[in-house]
Order: sequence, then structure tokens, then C-alpha cells
Amino acid sequence: MSALLEVSELRVSFGALVAVDDVSFTVPTGAIMGLIGPNGAGKTTTIDALCGFLPAAVGSIRLGGVALDGLRAHQRARAGLGRTFQTVELFDDLSVRENLLVAAIRPRWWSPFVDAVAPRRGTRGVNVDDAMGLMGLDAVADARPTELSHGQRQLVGVARALATRPRLVLLDEPAAGLDPAETAVLGRLLASLPAAGVSVLLVDHDMNLMLGVCDQLTVLDFGRVIASGPTAAVRTDPAVIAAYLGGGA
Amino acid sequence: MSDYLQQSLTGLGSGAVIAVLAIGIVLTFRASNVINLAHGAMGMYTAYVYFGLRNFDLAGADRGGDLVLPIIGLPTSVHVVDRPTVVTALVIALGVAAILGFVVYGLVFRPLRSAPPLARIVASLGVFLYLQSVMQLRVTAAGGGAAALQLTSLLPDGVVHLGDSAIPTASFVLAALAVAVAVGLGLVFRLTRFGLATRAAAEHEKGAVLTGLSPDRLGYLNWVIASVLAGAAVIAIAGMSSKLDPIDTSLLVVPALAAALLGGLNGFAATTVAGLAIGMSQSGLSTFQARAHWLPDFLPKGGLRESLPVILILIAITIRGSHLPTRESIVETRLPASPTPRHVFAWAGVLTAAAAVGLLTLDAQWRLAIVVSTIATLIALSSVVLTGYVGQISLAQYAFAGLAAFITARLAVNGMAFPWAPILGVTAAVGVGVLVGIPAVRVRGMALAIATLGAAVAIEALVFSAPTFNGISGVPRPRIFGIDLGFLSTGADNFRAAFGLFALLVLAVSMVAVANLRRSPSGLRWLAVRSNERAAAAVGIDVSSTKLLAFAVSSLLAGLGGSLLAYELPALSPQQFLVIGALAILALTYLGGIATLSGALLAGVMASGGIVTRLQGGATGDASSYQFAISGLVLIVVAILSPDGISLAARRGFARWRRA
Ligand SMILES: Nc1ncnc2c1ncn2[C@@H]1O[C@H](COP(=O)(O)OP(=O)(O)O)[C@@H](O)[C@H]1O
Ligand SMILES: [Mg+2]
Repeated sequence: MSALLEVSELRVSFGALVAVDDVSFTVPTGAIMGLIGPNGAGKTTTIDALCGFLPAAVGSIRLGGVALDGLRAHQRARAGLGRTFQTVELFDDLSVRENLLVAAIRPRWWSPFVDAVAPRRGTRGVNVDDAMGLMGLDAVADARPTELSHGQRQLVGVARALATRPRLVLLDEPAAGLDPAETAVLGRLLASLPAAGVSVLLVDHDMNLMLGVCDQLTVLDFGRVIASGPTAAVRTDPAVIAAYLGGGA
Repeated sequence: MSDYLQQSLTGLGSGAVIAVLAIGIVLTFRASNVINLAHGAMGMYTAYVYFGLRNFDLAGADRGGDLVLPIIGLPTSVHVVDRPTVVTALVIALGVAAILGFVVYGLVFRPLRSAPPLARIVASLGVFLYLQSVMQLRVTAAGGGAAALQLTSLLPDGVVHLGDSAIPTASFVLAALAVAVAVGLGLVFRLTRFGLATRAAAEHEKGAVLTGLSPDRLGYLNWVIASVLAGAAVIAIAGMSSKLDPIDTSLLVVPALAAALLGGLNGFAATTVAGLAIGMSQSGLSTFQARAHWLPDFLPKGGLRESLPVILILIAITIRGSHLPTRESIVETRLPASPTPRHVFAWAGVLTAAAAVGLLTLDAQWRLAIVVSTIATLIALSSVVLTGYVGQISLAQYAFAGLAAFITARLAVNGMAFPWAPILGVTAAVGVGVLVGIPAVRVRGMALAIATLGAAVAIEALVFSAPTFNGISGVPRPRIFGIDLGFLSTGADNFRAAFGLFALLVLAVSMVAVANLRRSPSGLRWLAVRSNERAAAAVGIDVSSTKLLAFAVSSLLAGLGGSLLAYELPALSPQQFLVIGALAILALTYLGGIATLSGALLAGVMASGGIVTRLQGGATGDASSYQFAISGLVLIVVAILSPDGISLAARRGFARWRRA
């Protein structure tokens, strides 16, 4: 498999604290890579750095062979890097459908001129209903995010990230706060993504979900990678068991 | 060279006043997280109290001792004491300042402690507008402006000789006082429980609770201290410069904001140094501009001086800013709801038709009122786009309108034919709007409001006061395809309907275009950015260019309004585009509903000289001050009770009534 995302020597410091310490890993095309580690290990910071939200990050990031360094957050998103937020962060002023629409539509420089005259032209041919159907969100398509349950909001966040048609989607604890039924929906959806051409970097604490869908695992502890490789190998790695998985998993 | 030294040292005096005002801004900011735009206005009121008390002729029979009251409906003033001494008057005035600080915090900013930034800014605008307009009324009632008061200085009038330059002693005294205030407050904040608690509260709401002092008490104390300091500072500067004026004095807040921002809204030492430096360099710049004959003539007198603080503000803010907020700095930015506009064409058609019928059937005064409201709606619409849809609080929209008005009028008077003069005028407004927007996209919330206030003041100082724009009249009548679109005429035919219909057409087209943008993907992106900039960037939205588009559209709308004004007004003068007008427009739009088209309409209808004024039986000078004062009050109330504005409150009320 060819490498889709290549991260090497990624480093993020907040003052004296080194939150991400020379992290390197590779996500192969078509893979679902799990990124696990205890709270504060630097998972969210890694995602922020990959997506261009931390201008102070150093290191090299390549997506599909193209360097992302120096690109701003929206440029990385357009280059094919989608993400969700641990804190969900939906557009509360927009309906669920509009949250997806605004992610799906790529403006051109002339779009505002067209929009001022023909407001519906821009959404023509953009279909987000299928995505909502897949996630079981049709019933709430016209609701505001503030009216949804936490689980539904999480799913909208994932659907919105997918609406940008990313090549790689970075999901920050998407199963947190989901009930078992919702988690099952999410798991099935995630498993179907590689076939649809979307690779995944998944952060979550639900080990059943992680072991069920991830074919690769990278383990972070105190900002460092302590193990990385096929799920079966990593889950039996003694260092990982000691640091994170404990006896339970 | 020694002239520069002399001028700069003389500027120490005004620098000291700026520093003390800035310290007050820092105090209230740390205590209640609001940048009090009304800080200068509060000091201005206290100064009127002091000089009002001392307003008696030493030889004459009048007794002075009248305390001017800032409350509409109450008598202008009450008599408190006969012929008070300086000390008595000062004690009373500063006591009144303390009460003012207490009341403003208790009634306005305490209830807004956890409100979104827009509500807090709007409330401070409300206080500003109210105090400024009430004092304008009081001054008019006293029959003769500030000149009627004797503005005697409390400070020694001697000079100090340094080499061959003579510098007023007062400047040094004031500077020493400012330093003393800074050092004194610094000690208080370092050594007392009150100080520690305030600093803790600035970091963290719970921090103060841990020290055992209630955040409330801290708030009151800080506001009282700030208000007293502002009063003392303004009394000093008014006495020294023999100048006191409800508007100009209130705008002392602009250099003070610059100093406070340069000090990082935190330390007293840095703030004081910044204040002194601004005062000194302003003073030096005046000399420089008076001397430097190579400077182009079109630069208005004092332009450099007035725009310096603004440039400092813009730099300070921009350097601190960033393209996206950080994970921690995500603040509560809830803005008034912005429902998707529906039935746009039907509404536009009905309203335009109604206004057109009004224009064609009613008398000249009504035609004037309809035109005034039409133009005001356009300008308000520019706030709806930028502030309502995109959440960028801009106080510069009225200045953009003024820019378009002056350029249109100047070009037209110089012979440029009709559609071209306004087209260039509007283009200039858009250009400047985008130019202001470029640094402003790195800035959000309060900081942006200050930056744009600064930009408005700079445009006023550098452009509107330019000789070439001073008092333009006789703008040729607009004509197109042989149709006379002129507004002014004589006799019963005055305020011609043709111009009104043209203005209505411009408004209707603009409204529909804005409604379309709002409903289209462009509008979705605007609202997405307003909701959450980080999430917007994460889905590939270019936050900066989305904001710039809003700056462009909104200055286009303001520019259209301004160009129409160039043909509507019999003569243009800088006084018509003062910053206070910008505050009033934003205030009215917020009242109407800042994020809805109907909010802009309501703002236009309520605008001074517009339809509501006409219904009340026409405007006089006082009436517009009353209107400003009352809009100030209503603004505060709306900011506290119903931040969505009148139009949405009404819509909800209607929905409830239908369900019932
Ligand atoms: N902006 C910041 N400033 C300072 N420290 C931060 C900041 N963001 C994250 N951290 C710290 O970096 C470390 C990693 O945090 P995070 O990436 O959120 O961990 P995880 O997502 O794995 O739980 C933590 O110790 C956290 O406190
Ligand atoms: Mg995390």
C-alpha cells in the first residue's frame, strides 16, 4: 500500500511543555489508523498540528506526496484533510443540512456575483441528503445543532467532515457520548469509508470500536510514539500494555 | 529642533491625561471584561459637573453651585451650594463621578457580565450616546455652548525654562500626577486583597471567589475608581486647554484606548508610558505638520495628530491578532439569530410600492422623510451584512458612507457626469473598506470594534477635514437618459419624488441582492464563520477572504448610501459624518435586529429625520439630541433584555400569539 499521510518529526511545544515530541508515523492509503493514548498524550494537539491550526508546529507533513507545510488550515482542508473536533464545534447558526452543505460547496472567485443574483444556483447538484441518510440524520436535517442530542451532534460532525470529500479524515473521539446503537452505526460507517476512497485517522477511547475497525494503531504517551504498526501486533506489545491498555484490553 | 522638544514636553500634559484615562479603561476591562467606549464620555460629564458648580462670576451676584443632572425628564440642574470653592466643587464632582461609575456598572455592565461581546459593546455605545446627547441638550439649554462656562485651570500656570524653550509647569505636574496614580494603583493591586482579587478575577471568574471577595464588589470598586480618575483627568485637560465639548471630549477615549491597548490592557506602567508617549508625539506631530511644507496641502490641519493614536491602535491590535482563534481563546460569541429571509421578492415589492405611493402622494416634508429613511436603511444594511451576518463589529460603516458622499460630490461639482461620479465614489468606499478589512481580519470581537472605531476617526481626521471637502454645495442634478433625478427644487415641488424613486430602486435592488447572498452558499459561509472560525477553516472555508467579502459588500452598501446623500443634502460638511453618527446607526440597527433585513428597515425608519421623526411632527436640533439620548437608553435595555432586537422579538411574539 502506498503512503497517504507521512508525518515525520512533528513537534509542538507550549512554552516549556512539549505536547508532541518528534512524532513520526505513516497512514497508508485505504487504511483506518487508530491513534490512541491516555488523556493529555497529545492526540488532539497532533490533529491540530496536522490540520494547520498550530502555526508554531514544526516537522514535515505530506499528504499523497505533497508537502502541506506552510499551508493554512483551509488550504489543508481543500487538499483533502478533513477533521472533526473533540468539542464537536458545529455551526450553531446553520441547520444540520446547511452544516453539511457549507462543507460540501467549494466557492470560486466569481461565486458571490452568481449568488447575489441566483441564490440557488450554488447548491444545485450538491447532494448531502444521502450522507445524512447514511448517518440516520434525515429526521433532524432542518433542526439546529443546539436542538440535538450529544450523540447526534457527534454524528453531524463526522458527516460534515465527510461532506468535504476528504482523502483522509481525522476523527477526534467521535464515539464519546454515543450510545451503543449510535456507536454501532458509526463503526459500520467507518468500516465502509476505505472502500469509498476515504482513509481514516481515528482517535477514541472506546477500545471495542478501535480494535474492531482499525487495521493500524499508533500509540502516543507523553507526546511520544511508543508503538506503531498493525493492530494485532500493537495490542500485544508489552510497552503498550504497560503504558495504556493495561490488562483489560 | 528645540521647538520639537518644547512641543513634545508640552504634550506631556495631554499625555498624562491620556494615560490616566487609559488606566481607567484597563481597570474596567479587568473587572468586567468590557472595553468601555463611554469612558471619555463619563469623564466629560464629570467635568461639566465641576465647571458647572464653579460657574459664577467672582464679582457678580450669581451664586454658581448648580449641579448639572444627566437624566432626561429631570430639571437641567439642581442647586447644591452657593459659590463653592475649588475644593468643594472638586469633591462634589468626583463624588458624582463615583456615583456615576457605580450606577453604570450596576445597571448596565453587571447584568451583561457574561453576555456576548456585541451586547457589551453595544451597551457601552448606549452609555456613550446617552451621556453625549444629554450633555448636548444641557449645553444647548444653558444657551451658549461650552464657551459659557469658565474653564479655569486648577494647575499652576507658570513655565519652566529648559535651555531656550519654555514649557508649561502644568505639563510636568500632570505627568507627575499620572505617574503617581499609576504607582499608587500598582501598589494597591500588588499589596491589597482587593487588588489581588481583581487580578485573579481577570484571569478567571472563580479566582476572585477563592480570595473571598465577591466579583460584584470588585466590579463596583473598579468602576468607581475608573470613573473618578476619568473625571479628574478630563477636568484637568479641560481647564488646561480651555476646551470642553460633549462630542470631542468624549472622543478622548480614542487615544486612551490606544494607550490601553499598547499596554496590553494590563499593566499600569506600560499603559502610562504609552499614554505619555502618545501625548508627546501628538504634540510633536502638530508642530511637524505645521512646519513641513513639503507635506501635501490636502492633508487637513491636525490630521497627523489625530490619526496617530489610530495607527497605533491598528498596529497593536494587528500584531496581537491571528488568522484563527486558538483552542483556548474560543469565546462565547453568540450573536443575534439570523433566520433565512423568506418571500424576499414579495416583501421587496410591497414595501417599495408602499414607499413609492408615499413619495407620489404625500407632501414635500414626507418625501424628504422617506428619502432619509431609504438612505439610512442602506447604511444600516451594511451593518447587517458585516456585523449581523459575519459577526464583525464595525464602527466604520458611516465613515465609508461619508467617504463616498464627499468623493461623489467633489467629482460631480468638478464636472463629472452623473453615473460616473457616484460609481467612483462607491468604488473608493469599497476600496477603503477592503483596506481597513485586511488588517481587521486578524482581529475579532471587542478588538475589532476598537480598530474600526479608530479607522473611522482616522478617516475623519485625514479625509473629511481636508480643505477640498470642506463645505461642498451646488452638486449638479443627476440626470440619466434625459430624466431629471434631482432632489432639491423650490416651492411645493421641493424634494422631488423622482430622486426618491431612484433611491428606492437602489435600496430595493440592494435588499434583494443581500437577501440572495444570505440564502446562497456565500451567506452560509458568512454564518459559518460567524458561528465558529476554526470549524469553518476545517471544512475548507477561507475565513479571511470570507470576511473580506463581507467588508467589500458592506462598504459597497454604505458607499451607495453615501453617494445618494451627496445628492440629497443641500451641502456636505464634515459635521454630518461624525463618528457619533456611526454609533447611532449601529445602535439603531442593533435595536431593529442586527442580523435581519427587517432590522435594517426598522433602523432606517427610526433614523433621525426619517419616517418616525416625521410622524412625531418633524425634527428640530434638540429633537435629534433627544432621539440619540433615547436610542442610547433603549439600546442599553435591548442589549440586556432582548439581544436579538425588535424585529425578532416581534416575530416571536407574533408566533406565540398565533399559537395561543
Ligand atoms: N494551547 C495549549 N497551551 C498549553 N498547553 C496545551 C495547549 N493545548 C494542549 N496543551 C497540553 O498539551 C498536552 C496534550 O494535550 P492534548 O493534545 O489535548 O491531549 P489528548 O488529546 O491526547 O488528550 C496536555 O498536557 C495539554 O494540557
Ligand atoms: Mg484530546
